Order: sequence, then structure tokens, then C-alpha cells
Amino acid sequence: MGVIEQLLGGFAHALAGPGLLIMAAGVAWGIIGGAIPGISGAVAMALALPYTFSMDAATALVMLAGVWAGANYGGSIPAILMRMPGTPGAAAALLDGYELTRQGKAAKALGISLVCGTFGGLVSIIFLIALVLPLGNLVLAFGSPEIFALALFGLTLIAGLSGKSMLKGLAAGAFGLLLTTVGLDTLTGSLRLTFGRRELLSGVDIISAMIGLFAVSEMFYQLAHPARRETPTIVDARTAFPTLAEFKEVWRATVVGTIVGLIVGVMPGAGATASSFVAYNEARRWSKRPELFGKGSMEGVAGPETANNAVQGGDLVPTLAIGIPGSNSAAIMLAALILHGIVPGPFLMSQHTELVFTLFAGLILVNLLMIPVGVVILRACLLALRLPPPSLVASILAIIFIGTFAADLFVLNPILALIFGVIGYGMRVTGFPPAATVLGLVLGFMVESELRRSLIISHGSWAIFVTHPISAVLLLATLAVLLYPVFLNYRRRRKTPVSPAAAPAGS
Amino acid sequence: MNNTIVRKDVIAAAVLVAFGAFVVMIGLKIPLGVATDPLGPRTFPVALGAGIALCGVLLVAGMLLFRRAPSGPGLLADMDPEDEAVADAGPFSLTRLVGVVAITAAYLAAFEPVGYLPSTWVYVLALMLLHGGARGRSLAITPPIVTLVLYLTFKFGLKIPVPEGILDRWV
Repeated sequence: MGVIEQLLGGFAHALAGPGLLIMAAGVAWGIIGGAIPGISGAVAMALALPYTFSMDAATALVMLAGVWAGANYGGSIPAILMRMPGTPGAAAALLDGYELTRQGKAAKALGISLVCGTFGGLVSIIFLIALVLPLGNLVLAFGSPEIFALALFGLTLIAGLSGKSMLKGLAAGAFGLLLTTVGLDTLTGSLRLTFGRRELLSGVDIISAMIGLFAVSEMFYQLAHPARRETPTIVDARTAFPTLAEFKEVWRATVVGTIVGLIVGVMPGAGATASSFVAYNEARRWSKRPELFGKGSMEGVAGPETANNAVQGGDLVPTLAIGIPGSNSAAIMLAALILHGIVPGPFLMSQHTELVFTLFAGLILVNLLMIPVGVVILRACLLALRLPPPSLVASILAIIFIGTFAADLFVLNPILALIFGVIGYGMRVTGFPPAATVLGLVLGFMVESELRRSLIISHGSWAIFVTHPISAVLLLATLAVLLYPVFLNYRRRRKTPVSPAAAPAGS
Repeated sequence: MNNTIVRKDVIAAAVLVAFGAFVVMIGLKIPLGVATDPLGPRTFPVALGAGIALCGVLLVAGMLLFRRAPSGPGLLADMDPEDEAVADAGPFSLTRLVGVVAITAAYLAAFEPVGYLPSTWVYVLALMLLHGGARGRSLAITPPIVTLVLYLTFKFGLKIPVPEGILDRWV
């Protein structure tokens, strides 16, 4: 069956039953969640995850994709109207978006953000389909050594998630890997790290751990640091679509934003924030009127907003082709697969082709739905932004705990979410990236099982990883990615001599 | 280097070393497995435990070695990766942190025996009081609305049974 036929089948599946309604609900929740500062796209997706328990895997994935796409736009609403980005990815759009609001052009800024973002999202899905299919075919030739090397390479994403301390990233990643060893060992049936608890036989519930690390820890943070968010003063607004003349004004920035979003999206760990700032700079560089940037340029909104949305397709390339998530949101998509009994990895494309094509079709549909839902839901976003912080934090925690309970009607899951919320909070305040732990959780099983399988095949010889050319190349790439920051650090230290004045007083 | 960051890192390093050593200790009790599986079920958790402990040791070593180094990004520079978010944070309140964890633990303990409706009502109210700044009307309206909306969504919308607890006879 050809790609077009499979895609048409995907559309039929995605639109079956209440499909369109579920997608619209996902987009609506994403926009509202993204608009509320403190609820990032990943947190909005984590909160929506429990509502997908009763859906089939394809519908669940499509709904979560809608939340993801919606949050990308939602974040720009408070950025444009209140100079307060709802998500980090919307921070670049506030530079000119808020200036436009001050000039009385808020409706136009919102319209440009919505239309250009939708364009970026749609192009990125076409890019995803074009890239993921050949990659999916390529990995069909992979055996255990190659998959192990691939998963190990995926773990180098920790370098990108580590912020400024690689060591903390490594420790956080190792913790995530360790969590996957809890429970019954699938190869030998031995019990590991269960402390005699029957509840831990099937391991640590990845969904509860993820919700705890991302969402519960964020709410704890907001409660423990109460001055972080004030109830904002909100202007009333509507959405006005750009005219043809305005389109001509922003097309260059839109194309630049799309290209930047696609490239940055494929680069694991870079994310929407980096892409929108790079796109802002590039849009200014390519603009015919760069002097307007920072003073209310429509291109200054179009560039970053397009890039912000175009990241989604790029992010999903490694996620779907090889089972390695490129961002927190992509990791939640993989968690949703696990929740529905599907093992993510290099063979997802070949073993669940129908599911993947339904997701492709769903991604196109949710991006198209962004425009009508975005217009209709704006008022609800403004209402949500008026919610006082005490009501918001308390409601979100209540949603989280009933949601994790609903997974298997077992109170252990909310308890795990609480425990991981405390751990996640501790990690955040000490500079350990919770996202690295989530990456370890997602890739841990693949790393260990394929490593052990490879050594069983080779009768204990580690040479198997070097004699297989693909795994050798991947291991070399892993080494290069890990050593590059060390090299950079060494060079920086050599270039900057330490002066006594630079030393802190008293040390 | 900021003293608060140093203190946090020393505590974090100590936790890593203690946790890693604990994992190695209990990991060594895992059976070796079968002869055909060279690594067996024990190696991975033990190696990860040792790796976590090593990260703790290197964190302290890095602080001692590079304490006089100029600040800036680097392998062992100790900065919070989410410093942008942390910069926006208000003053830390231990009471609120301990309070939210304790209230949540109590809520989860009451979740099944007391039932979803009364426990969630009290939980939302307690969290709002802990947060502070909520007006009387908000305190009266938010807890019942949130509780009822979630209850109806899960029980009738998603057909997921919710613990009725003490209200079992009436609901």
C-alpha cells in the first residue's frame, strides 16, 4: 500500500467516532494549559494522559498531539497580551508581540501567531512523514548490538538536558535507568530492588513517575515559592487574521521560522525555546525592515511563533523512527504508547504502521483545528488566566491525583506520583534535570535488554559492538557527543587565565 | 561561586553517594542469573548505583578543584539548568513545602477509606488555605466545584469507578 493510501486510512481512523471532538478537546486544553504560566506543554500533556486510558492507542496519541500543538500556540497568548510567556517557547514572541499590544494591535499579533504557527506546524508534519519513513526502513536491518548502540546514543541527549552541569545530568539519567531495573527481570525472572513489595513486581509505573517529576514537582515549586506568579492584569482581546498585504510582510519570517524550527526540532534536546530565539534573530537578519524589531514588528511575532510550532514535527522524527524522544513532550508521547501496551523503539514503524499513519493524519488535523479552536477558545484562556493561584494550584493537584489513580484503580500510583513530585522538586532546586531521569526511564529497558542480548549472542564478547559497522559508528558518535563539551570546557579554561581578583572573597 | 549553591551541591553530592552505595549494597544481593547471560540481572543496577555514587564524589571533587575557576558554563560548573525559572521564584517557604507534602500524604491515605468526594473537598480547601491569598468566596466555591466536576468526569464521563468510602450507602 502506498503512502497516500495509508495516510487516507489514517485520516479515516483519526476521524472515526468522536475523533474530531477528542482532537478539538485536546487542542483546546493545550491552548488553555499553555496559556497558564507554570503549565508547560509537557505538563499539559501529562495532565491529559489519564483521560486517554479508556481510548485506543491511536486516539490517545492524536489527542496528546493536539494538546502539544495547542500548548505551542497557547503560550503566546499571555506573552502577547501581558508580556508574560505561558511557555518558555513563547518568550521570543513577547518582544514584538507585547509591543503590538501596546500599539493597540493585539488582535493582529494573536492572528499572526495563530496562522503562522499553524503553517509551521503543518510543514513540519510533511517533513516528519518524508523523513521518518526512510529512517524507519533503515532501522529494520538493526539487530541487538545496533539497537543498544542507538539507545546509548539516545542517552547522550542528557548532555543537552543537563544545563551547565553534565555531571548532574548524568546522575539524573542514571537514576532514571536504575528505576527501570526495579521489578521482575524479563530475561531471567529474578527479582530486583523490590524490597519484598509485591506492588513493585511489575516495576515503577512510568506514567506516575513522569507526572510526579514534571507536574507535581512544578505545583510544589509554585506552593513553596509563592511569589513566583502574580495574578496578572488582563486586557480583553480577540483574534484578527492577517490581510494579504500583511502576509506579504511576514512571509519571509515565516519561511525562516519554519526552516529553523525543523532543523532545531530534529536536534535532540534543543527544543522550542532555542528554536524561537534562533528564529527571531534569523528573521531579523533576513528582514527588509530589521529596525522595526523590538518596536512592534509583525515579522518579530511570525518568525518565533512559526519556529515554535515547527519544532513538533522535527521532535517526532527520532521519537517515531528510532524510539528516542527529542523533548519532554515527545517522551510523554512514548509514555502514552507504553501505557497502551505498545513498546516504542526502532520497530514501531514496521509493527504498528496503521497507528503511525493515524498519528500523521491526526497531526495534520490538529494543526488545522488550531485556527478555529484558537479563535473560539481565546475567551476561555483569558478566564483561566484570571483564576487566582490558590485555586489553580489546588485544582491541578486534585486533577493529577485522581488521574494517576484512574490508571489502574490502585492508590499506589498517586503515592508514586507524590514521591516523584518530592524527588522532582529536590532535583529542580539543586540543579538536577528531571527530564534526564525521564529519558533514562524511557530508554532504560532498551539499553539493558539489548546489551544483555548482544552479549548472549556473542557469548560474552564485547567485540560484537565494534565488529558490527553500524553499532561501531553509533558508539563513536556517542563518544564524540560526550567528549565535545569536555574539549570545549578545557579550551575555555586554557583561554581564560585565573586572576586572584576573580576568586571569591574569603576563599 | 555562590555559597547557597555550594551548600546545596554538597548536600546533593552526599545524597548521591549515600544512595549509590545503598543501591550497590542491595544490588549485590540480586542473584547472578544464568551462565548463558554474561551480565546477568545484577550488573546493571550495581553499575548504575556505583555510577551515581561516583557522580556524587566527582561533584565534590569538581567544587574543590574549580572553586577558584572563573564562573561560566562548563562540565563541572554548578549552575541550575532552570535558572531562568528559579530567577523568577519568590522566597522559599519550608512550611508550605512540608505542608503540601503532608496534606497530600494525608489525602492519599484517606482517598479510599473516606472516599473521593469528602477527601478531595477537604484536600482542595486545605491546599488553598496553605497557599494563602484566597478570598472567602473562592474558598467556598472552588473546592466543591473542582471535586464534583472531577467526580462526574471520571465516574460518568470516563466510566472509571471512584472510591465512595463513607458515602457508599448514599452515592
